[in-house]
Amino acid sequence: MTARQWSRDLAMGTKFAFTGGREGWIRVLLTGVGVGLGVALLLLTTAIPSAMQARSDREYSRTDLRMSSEVIPKADNTVLVGNVGSDFRGQDVRGRELEPEGLRAPLPPGLSEFPAPGEMFVSPALRKLLDSPDGKLLRERIPYRDTGTIGSIGLIGPAELAFYAGTDGLAARIGDSPVNRLDTFQGVDAPSEEMDPVLLLLVLVVFVVLLMPVGVFIAAAVRFGGERRDRRLAALRLVGADGRMTRRIAAGEALAGALLGLLFGTVFFLLGRQIAGTVELFGISVFPSYLDPTPALAALIALAVPAAAVAVTLFALRGVVIEPLGVVRTARPARRRLWWRLLLPLGGLALLAPMIGKGSENGDFNAYMVTGGVVLLLVGVTALLPWVVEAVVARLNSGPVSWQLAVRRLQLSSGTAARMVNGIAVAVAGAIAMQMLFAGVESDYTRATGQDVSRAQMEVTVPARIPLAKAAEELGATPGVRGTTAISSGTLGERRTDPERTATVTVGDCDALREVARLSSCRDGDVFAVRHAEYDTDTARLAKARTLYLDPGYSDSEKGAEVAWTVPRDLRKADTREDPTGWERGGFLITPGALPAKAAPAVTGLVYLRLDPSAPDAREHVLNIAARMDPYTQPMFYAASEQSGRFTSIRTGLFVGAACVLALIGASLLVSQLEQLRERRKLLSALVAFGTRRRTLSLSVLWQTAIPVALGLLLASAVGLTLGAVLLKMTGTSVAVDWPGVLSMAGIGAAVVLAVTALSVPPLLRLMRPDGLRTE
Amino acid sequence: MTPAGSLLAAHDLHKAYGPTHALDGAGFSIHPGEIVAVMGPSGSGKSTLLHCLAGIVTPDSGSITYNGLEMATMNDSRRSALRRSEFGFVFQFGQLVPELTCVENVALPLRLNGTSRKEAERTALTWMERLEVDDLAAKRPGEVSGGQGQRVAVARSLVTGPRVLFADEPTGALDSLNGERVMELLTDAARSTNAAVVLVTHETRVAAYSDREVVVRDGRSRDMERVV
Repeated sequence: MTARQWSRDLAMGTKFAFTGGREGWIRVLLTGVGVGLGVALLLLTTAIPSAMQARSDREYSRTDLRMSSEVIPKADNTVLVGNVGSDFRGQDVRGRELEPEGLRAPLPPGLSEFPAPGEMFVSPALRKLLDSPDGKLLRERIPYRDTGTIGSIGLIGPAELAFYAGTDGLAARIGDSPVNRLDTFQGVDAPSEEMDPVLLLLVLVVFVVLLMPVGVFIAAAVRFGGERRDRRLAALRLVGADGRMTRRIAAGEALAGALLGLLFGTVFFLLGRQIAGTVELFGISVFPSYLDPTPALAALIALAVPAAAVAVTLFALRGVVIEPLGVVRTARPARRRLWWRLLLPLGGLALLAPMIGKGSENGDFNAYMVTGGVVLLLVGVTALLPWVVEAVVARLNSGPVSWQLAVRRLQLSSGTAARMVNGIAVAVAGAIAMQMLFAGVESDYTRATGQDVSRAQMEVTVPARIPLAKAAEELGATPGVRGTTAISSGTLGERRTDPERTATVTVGDCDALREVARLSSCRDGDVFAVRHAEYDTDTARLAKARTLYLDPGYSDSEKGAEVAWTVPRDLRKADTREDPTGWERGGFLITPGALPAKAAPAVTGLVYLRLDPSAPDAREHVLNIAARMDPYTQPMFYAASEQSGRFTSIRTGLFVGAACVLALIGASLLVSQLEQLRERRKLLSALVAFGTRRRTLSLSVLWQTAIPVALGLLLASAVGLTLGAVLLKMTGTSVAVDWPGVLSMAGIGAAVVLAVTALSVPPLLRLMRPDGLRTE
Repeated sequence: MTPAGSLLAAHDLHKAYGPTHALDGAGFSIHPGEIVAVMGPSGSGKSTLLHCLAGIVTPDSGSITYNGLEMATMNDSRRSALRRSEFGFVFQFGQLVPELTCVENVALPLRLNGTSRKEAERTALTWMERLEVDDLAAKRPGEVSGGQGQRVAVARSLVTGPRVLFADEPTGALDSLNGERVMELLTDAARSTNAAVVLVTHETRVAAYSDREVVVRDGRSRDMERVV
């Protein structure tokens, strides 16, 4: 067999694909659309690393943090930058005040000039939000006049909410506020961080789990229209083509579909790229230009997809004998063998087994073995499913007509049914394994903050110029705020300057002090020394002194308030208690009556807030009040725990990817379902002609999908649980099944299939029209 | 106007598919037990006439009465029920359900009428015996020859004891020997049950099995005088 013969037959197949009249065109279009969807998703995946890099580069190019605490001197080329960023309904709002100090002051990326004081340049997304009724609340804390737009070069994504406002007088705030003097916006290099092996494992598995169903889907798509093609091949045998030639011609037809798919995929990707610029998924938005596939990977897709199409077709035709008078597949096919199908998942397990426990030893996982093992296990699903479907449907029998039609159809061509649900089964198996792995290692990447969200949900630091009581009153009157606790904190030393011993001082009324210590009794004028606080060694000694100094000064930094305070003789004792942030504070507790009036500037006010959970915008109202008091106030939201940023990013990536894959599989199922119905159009019309109820036929289509789907989901759950357990063992985590997670994944899979079945009912009803009987 | 005693009659039927007039004033009538051949060249409107008579396709205008009832007054489910219980169908390529065995195919119309599976398959087997295909009961349509498949399709069309049998080119896909055998079996079975047969064909050899011939040309029909 020569290359020339191969190319001639492939070319003939390609020609047949496009010259089969309307039917031929529809079939090749369906294949093209199917493969195209898969190719688009693959291209998108290859573009994700560059998109994330582009976001990171843009972030770096506008960095206004300085790693050193030293303040650079004012110069012609410096600018003062203050962070007035906020948060609106869970979305970050990046805000900066700018004050150029000279003509050569550096402009942040995306600005053509500095906004004048009181004016601001905004991102398009923020302008849209501020102009909408929803943005009214946010507008209250961004009081600048909108005079310009931040160019895309200054934003990390099109949906980013950002503004730069002009101001003056920032120099006075250097030191006590998030205000920096910069001579460049080129950020400092963040220290490179080695990725934890378990996180690396997660990334690898996420990629495999997301890409496997796409591969399975492409393999299914190139087999669209197989029955009609087989009839055409039989006709070719009749005019003298031999068996090998017909196989090569069939491969050529698949190649045509795959090539068209590459074209469609590129178009879908380019369209998707434009659409990607208008959507935000899990808080991430990207500019279309970010989605730039890695050339080597794009080339690999361009070669692998057509090659896979040819290989899959030849593989699919291996058990088919194309005779001149027809295809010998309509007869009952040979029984499927189990042994080699089992080898795949077993091989996968064998690859993963040597790495069991490595995560607990902080060792490295072999990326190739992990990928190979997971791929084999998931490919095992696609190999085992046809056997499972065949074995089970062979045992199904009596039932109503709709059931009988479906079961008999499945018995005759269980492979087609299994192929239809292979993609969803692989996706669900992978998702179950990932869900187990994430749930298992979540605790390792989640840190308890110690914050007690039952006592307070927010804190607001009150600037020194505003009386604390007034601020607490104003915050307490905010809609959605149930209560406030106001305290002030500072430092006491035994000397006016450069003290050797220091302790915390907390000022507040008796109710407020009870939030930070256990007091047996308390009235205004009392002072307490706190016992048993962690890391507090100086309070007991300081309590014996006569005079202490609030806010002592240090010779190597700025001068403090240095207010003398006499330790009262009737100093009482109190036991420490965790405050709402989880801190056990020691030092002295002072009620307002025991604090000299001149001491007020020496302490910083803080208000703990209890919010009404049923008031949706309580946080926003508080942020507005806080911003009105001082735009540099940075209110804190309490949370019982916080997660590692990288862990959260990987999890977010999984959700974004899984959403795309499920959408793709849903689309592919629909295309495949429609294609099957179209092939049976005449038969459906004949069945209707002799009086078959439409409901019977619709139900039979539902059974035909539901039976393999149920079997697929069962198999997927078994393989997913096995893979999840092995991955957890690899990370050295105890194996626990997250049943709600398993059920929800299987439920999502089933929902996709049900939705597809529902969507295919209208075309089914159309195809059942008697017009299908017309031949002329 | 319905001819006296006719079981199924059509008058002034019009049906167009886009710009093509498939029927343009066609008429038809058939009596119980009568076999009428509808003849004509390809594209003349024979199959469309059959589909209209069977209630598969609704004509644009004109009237069809079955057993004195105007079919235009029947809704889709009533017409479907009529096709299930009173009519039988044989198509050119059999249109057997490929995944069902032959006996299941024959039993299908009975099962659609609510007969139990066992009972339906027992009745189906008796009809398969009459059509000499009982040995194919457990085979699937893909495993039998064209002639055998068509005889299975005839058995399926007769299993419910229809009063009218619609046969659209029933031998069109068969060789002459098989075609003749199918026609003999079909007409014998129909006569034994007093079923009327509307036989669409363009072969005079097949039409010879009928009692009367109607020719359709350009969407119009007329009765043929038979030369004996």
